[in-house]
Amino acid sequence: MNDNIIKVCGLKKHFVGGTVKALDGIDLEIKRGEVIVIIGPSGCGKSTFLRSLNLLEKPTSGNIFFNGVDINDPKVDINTHRQKMGMVFQQFNLFPHLSIRKNITLAPIKLLKKPKETAEKEAMSLLKRVGLEDRAEAYPSQLSGGQKQRIAIVRALAMDPEVMLFDEPTSALDPEMVGEVLDVMKELAQEGMTMAVVTHEMGFAKEVADRVIFMDGGKIEEMGTPEEIFGNPKSPRLRDFLGKVL
Amino acid sequence: MAEFFATLKSDFIKCFVTKNRWTFITEGLSTTLKITLLSCIMGIVIGLILAIVRSTYDKNYKEMHGGIGKSLLAVANFIANIYLTVIRGTPVVVQLMIMYYIIFAASDNGVLVAVSAFGINSGAYVAEIFRSGIMSIDNGQFEAGRSLGFGYIQTMLFIVFPQAFKSVLPALANEFIVLLKETSVAGYVAIQDLTKGGDIIRGATYETFMPLLAVAGIYLVMVIFFTKLVNILERRLRKSER
Repeated sequence: MNDNIIKVCGLKKHFVGGTVKALDGIDLEIKRGEVIVIIGPSGCGKSTFLRSLNLLEKPTSGNIFFNGVDINDPKVDINTHRQKMGMVFQQFNLFPHLSIRKNITLAPIKLLKKPKETAEKEAMSLLKRVGLEDRAEAYPSQLSGGQKQRIAIVRALAMDPEVMLFDEPTSALDPEMVGEVLDVMKELAQEGMTMAVVTHEMGFAKEVADRVIFMDGGKIEEMGTPEEIFGNPKSPRLRDFLGKVL
Repeated sequence: MAEFFATLKSDFIKCFVTKNRWTFITEGLSTTLKITLLSCIMGIVIGLILAIVRSTYDKNYKEMHGGIGKSLLAVANFIANIYLTVIRGTPVVVQLMIMYYIIFAASDNGVLVAVSAFGINSGAYVAEIFRSGIMSIDNGQFEAGRSLGFGYIQTMLFIVFPQAFKSVLPALANEFIVLLKETSVAGYVAIQDLTKGGDIIRGATYETFMPLLAVAGIYLVMVIFFTKLVNILERRLRKSER
């Protein structure tokens, strides 16, 4: 069995016009069960990188292997692979016209062809895990930001993904709600979920990450365990960055 | 005073009761409603197709790989743009006359002619209504759908359209009401709609006041009724978001 769930080779992304290089040659392997946290100054390409892992952002060149299949090949049906890659967005992106229950069960019912009862049962047990089982009939606009984000995580988990991508999941939250979302993520990490997280929460990176990646200028500038990155930063730019955020 | 009412009464009888002239109004009304309803449905179907083509082009064309799909989309978008330009750039009466004297010259089915003309005309306006609705939905909604594994069409169907429809409903209803009034020019090509019905009575009785006022009143009542109906529907839909 392949140990790497995701393998990225020479990933480049140039925005239209060609002068701005959002990603300038990224190579990375993510092991099954690993928690990767990506940090870096704004505009360094960390969100672009995360979003290209499930091709929401179309790379200019390079390969992304997911379970050994190059999903950047136009012949590959990306939709079936995306089902196995859950994604959580900064702005939650819950579906406002659907109840929480339907937000969660829509994809399992339509894509995995699960019977409605099964999907709803699973949705309820997932909701219980994040402490929101009493909000199943509510609509997204009735929830707080922290609740919305926990629902967004549940919605992604309902597809039973092999990897979860988090794109600044706490950046749009009021400070008092950050904790409840991070707690859910920590629990998920402890259960062995493979995770790639773009975040500004350095505490979360220190505590939960197996590996921290520091990006700058569209490149991976430095990579290592949290102890190495935070305790003994080598690159001057990383030192500069940590000096500003810590 | 009594004299005035007496004249009014005799005028009324002359215009609507004598020789069962009221049937011009009722039959005209039923023709007007038939034309409006059918051309509205046709307009929505045409408009939806045009809106899908145009918004798909706007959103995706730059990102697409070359190939048959991309060329087809470019051609479809080009045709859609010509359609919109021509239909919105010419008066509806002229379109109606072209339909009657040229395209359906061999047919004497007035409703068919009118529905084709008004449906094609309305489609161009409905297309822009739908397109603005689709474009008004935050791209994050689209990305969320795609990230779950839904394809482009599924994401549109389950996530974007239901929200877009809700946001354009008032504009769409307004288009229906505009259409209802617009069909009053159908008389130009010998279709006996409500307006033409009133006009026939006017010609037969030499009375102008009664028939025209009756026609105007009926249009007004219908417009008020449909406006109310839409308000109720809107409120229902909004409830689900709170």
